[in-house]
Amino acid sequence: MTSPTHFSFDSLSRGDILPTVELTITHDDVRAYLEATGEPAERWDERVPPVMLSALMLATLLGQVEIPAGVMHTGQEHESRRPVRIGEALTVTVTVSSYAVRRGALMAAFDAAARAGDEVVAVSRASVLVPPPEGSSEGDAA
Amino acid sequence: MTAPTVQPVTRLIDQPRVDHYAVAARDPNPIHRETPEAYAGPFGRPVAHGMLVLALMSEAMTNAFGEAWERGGSLKVRWRQPALVPVEVTARATLRSESDGVATYDLICEDAAGEALLTGTASVRLA
Repeated sequence: MTSPTHFSFDSLSRGDILPTVELTITHDDVRAYLEATGEPAERWDERVPPVMLSALMLATLLGQVEIPAGVMHTGQEHESRRPVRIGEALTVTVTVSSYAVRRGALMAAFDAAARAGDEVVAVSRASVLVPPPEGSSEGDAA
Repeated sequence: MTAPTVQPVTRLIDQPRVDHYAVAARDPNPIHRETPEAYAGPFGRPVAHGMLVLALMSEAMTNAFGEAWERGGSLKVRWRQPALVPVEVTARATLRSESDGVATYDLICEDAAGEALLTGTASVRLA
């Protein structure tokens, strides 16, 4: 997976599109993932588990944006359009779909699309919250 | 195809599993590992990755639907509380509706005390 650029979280704004990242998931990647999650590996000798793809789409974000301390992953959406083969060359593009400060807490959502060529094979959305700084009087947003 | 019953998946999420997941999922956030940041953080100890908890839910849906889960399956979840490590997690999906060839399930991942860690919905197009 390539991660060509780093952005500070504070520099993001709604509508930003992060640089597209290449992603090819190998047999070793899938094996390591399944060993970690404990899911039986037999059925995944040719294809990528959908939530693994979702996690690696999220990892493209983590690889490009400096995530502030204390950030909480509050929600996740994922839609698989079709099975993804192990070794298939994908690209992932992340868009900042919302970014707002409310009562001192920063709430943001990131939409990611995984493509094989021009075909979208999966889409996901990760929602995160950065609590107000400790001692802030505006800390009741979460 | 009629909407199947989704059998629950239960698994212990302990620190070695979380450490392994951090590498496999390329998520190095120190709040998930035995680090000073985790112990100084809001939960006072390491917290399992939310996506690791969600993986059990996807496993349950795969068990029930096979490739149909990969071909148009979708989910939408929110984490309700942190999964403090170690934690035994059970992922359950209960059929809510079935119409126009789409089955929709209510999702919950809960700890051994029955406290919800994650809730949401999933939809699958029936073959």
